[in-house]
Amino acid sequence: MNSYVGKQITLFQFISIISGSQVSVAVLNLPRKLSEAADTDGWIALIIGWALSLIAGLAIVGVMKYYPNGTLFDLLSEYMGRWAGVLAAMLFALYFFYLMYDGLVRTILVTKTWLLPTTQSFVLMSLLLIPAYSIVRHGIRNVARYAELIIWISLWIPFVYIYTLKHAHWVYLLPLLKEGWLPILTAVKATIYPMLGMVSIFILYPHLKYKEYATKGIVIANSITMLLYLFVTIICYVYFSPEESHLFNDPVISVLKSIEFKFIERIEVPFISFYLFIFSLIWIPMMYLLTYCIAWIFKRESIGIPLRLLIILLAVGTFFYFPTYNINNFLVRQLFWVGLILEYIFPVCLLCYLWLSKFWKEERSSL
Amino acid sequence: MSSSITRITLFIVIMLLLSSCSDQLNLENATTPLVLGMDLDKNKKFHFYLTAPVFSNRIKKKSIEMTGTAKTLRQSRSEQDAQTAGSTQGRNYQVILLGRRMLNYEGWFQMLDVIYRDARNTVTDRVIVVDGSVPEMLYLNPPDQPMLPILLRGMVDSTSSHSETVSTTAHELHRQFLDKGITPYFSQVKIIGGKVRIQGTALVSKAGIYKGMLDAQETVLLRILQKNASPGFSLSYQLPEEPKKSPFSTNTVSFSAGKVKTKIKTSFKNNRFKYDIKVSMVVGLSEHLFPFDVFNDSKRLEDMIGQQVTDHFNALIAKFQKLKVDPIGLGVYARAYEYKAFKKVEDDWAEVLSQADITVSAKVTIASMGPIK
Repeated sequence: MNSYVGKQITLFQFISIISGSQVSVAVLNLPRKLSEAADTDGWIALIIGWALSLIAGLAIVGVMKYYPNGTLFDLLSEYMGRWAGVLAAMLFALYFFYLMYDGLVRTILVTKTWLLPTTQSFVLMSLLLIPAYSIVRHGIRNVARYAELIIWISLWIPFVYIYTLKHAHWVYLLPLLKEGWLPILTAVKATIYPMLGMVSIFILYPHLKYKEYATKGIVIANSITMLLYLFVTIICYVYFSPEESHLFNDPVISVLKSIEFKFIERIEVPFISFYLFIFSLIWIPMMYLLTYCIAWIFKRESIGIPLRLLIILLAVGTFFYFPTYNINNFLVRQLFWVGLILEYIFPVCLLCYLWLSKFWKEERSSL
Repeated sequence: MSSSITRITLFIVIMLLLSSCSDQLNLENATTPLVLGMDLDKNKKFHFYLTAPVFSNRIKKKSIEMTGTAKTLRQSRSEQDAQTAGSTQGRNYQVILLGRRMLNYEGWFQMLDVIYRDARNTVTDRVIVVDGSVPEMLYLNPPDQPMLPILLRGMVDSTSSHSETVSTTAHELHRQFLDKGITPYFSQVKIIGGKVRIQGTALVSKAGIYKGMLDAQETVLLRILQKNASPGFSLSYQLPEEPKKSPFSTNTVSFSAGKVKTKIKTSFKNNRFKYDIKVSMVVGLSEHLFPFDVFNDSKRLEDMIGQQVTDHFNALIAKFQKLKVDPIGLGVYARAYEYKAFKKVEDDWAEVLSQADITVSAKVTIASMGPIK
């Protein structure tokens, strides 16, 4: 239906979008979530979570290989009829909206806690939406370039975290498997939410320049995300005592508070301001994907009208209602289930279905 | 047409948003307290104290002190504003002073909650206990010393850099209170002869009750056991084997340590924790007041010093066990290596540790004897 000429993205941009939308806001409280379940063994759960996400990611790529020149919705219309495509597009539009809204709300809450406590939520929302609009309306290529740029300019951040190792207590990591494997397996649950975002492959795949690298891309993206999480989690665990790691809401930010420079106090302020770029890697791609889904339903090429409607809806909606921390946490807990179904179970089932239907077809034709 | 409308709309929206910097504060209107003091008076009433620098040519005194009573720190904000020309910004204290009398009661640590909860506060302020009353120290203003915040912070930072006291920040204090395998410690100051001076390190129990104090030399040993001693600290001991010509302590040997290695072995046997701590130091002699042939007989001197250091370590451990404190954080090792046994007693750790079997042995190697033979 669409032509993808001139809308292609490179492998690195593909990785940037996936990794970026996985990391963004989820990294902030991941160490706490893990330690609530498994204390300082939580980092082991990350590795299991990574393996699971690889299976899901490979399943998504596997599905797309059946229909390389279209999105998931084109594929479903081809195999099951247009109603299935429309249904999936509606479902995924809602899901992308969920991810995007969660990202925006989290960002605003963090900004309000640490930077601008007296500024109104809808003012912050409008300020975030303006740059998002100007990037998204130019289409997938600009979104991909933006993601790539942010990855490049954020490369220095891990080095600052190494600075906090001055106060590290490595002995906190011992003993390994203190309560056995059961808490670790419970902690795997906490690794699902931070890995969400892979599903964007369903729509990005036809845009990919060299499709044979898609498998490599998803493996690299998930591994980068996992290594980053592992790094941050271990830093938090050797820095905070085991009792404290349950206590700080956003340990990734609290860690920075101890860094002292002669020329600046409260080092976390410029950091959180910079983090807004990284946070934006969830809502900007998701905003594009969401509007793409809507445009697809109405068989339109341009995403202009749904995008504008969305922006207005968000800005006006925030004026009347804005979630609190508790409601946001509730949203995240629900997102776990929704994400688990849409990103982990759905692709695997779909892959089985496609494989079986192909198998049956071959059986029939050979008869 | 449509794009120009979009542009104009965007422009107007941005202009409207940017003009909303309503919570600005000019520097002239701000008072920035650098010391936060807390103390109880004779009737156990909570008082807070602040000093802030004054930037003005016409005022001789360079600082302004504020005081008042309040239920909590945050509540004291209005009282603070009432005493100064500008709005008080209690956001970046350099030093938090605790009165000695406060440490007789549990629960003072909870009073500090606002420092951790209000995200805009710094948590790198040094926590210091005053042996005496906080107001006395705050109103001292000796003419020949710098302003109190600068003086205190400088004193703590420089003394702790050669390990003679500890530099506990508010953040570190939080860790020490919450981690079940360690008890808190911070530096202690006192007014002696009209001057502020560092006394050493105060030790408090998990509940925050004052237990005792370590002097400079004991603090050095504590920091060695914590594996936290910065190289370059110096120790002096009097060797009983050498002759002493009173009134001078001519049997003294001093050395500064270079490389220090601390090994802590933890085990749990017969319902008791057992620690085997081995310290090895490579030192350079800086003085020995008695004649000694270091060149040929260094082994004997090493043994004599090693014996002294070992004795002092063991005396220090005995002191901790008597006071029922664990500033070394031996509980952290217990958790790491004997998790099951520790988990059972973690809420009562200091008591259990006082029954533990701890031995320290120190080995000293002389690396250099200085330019004189």
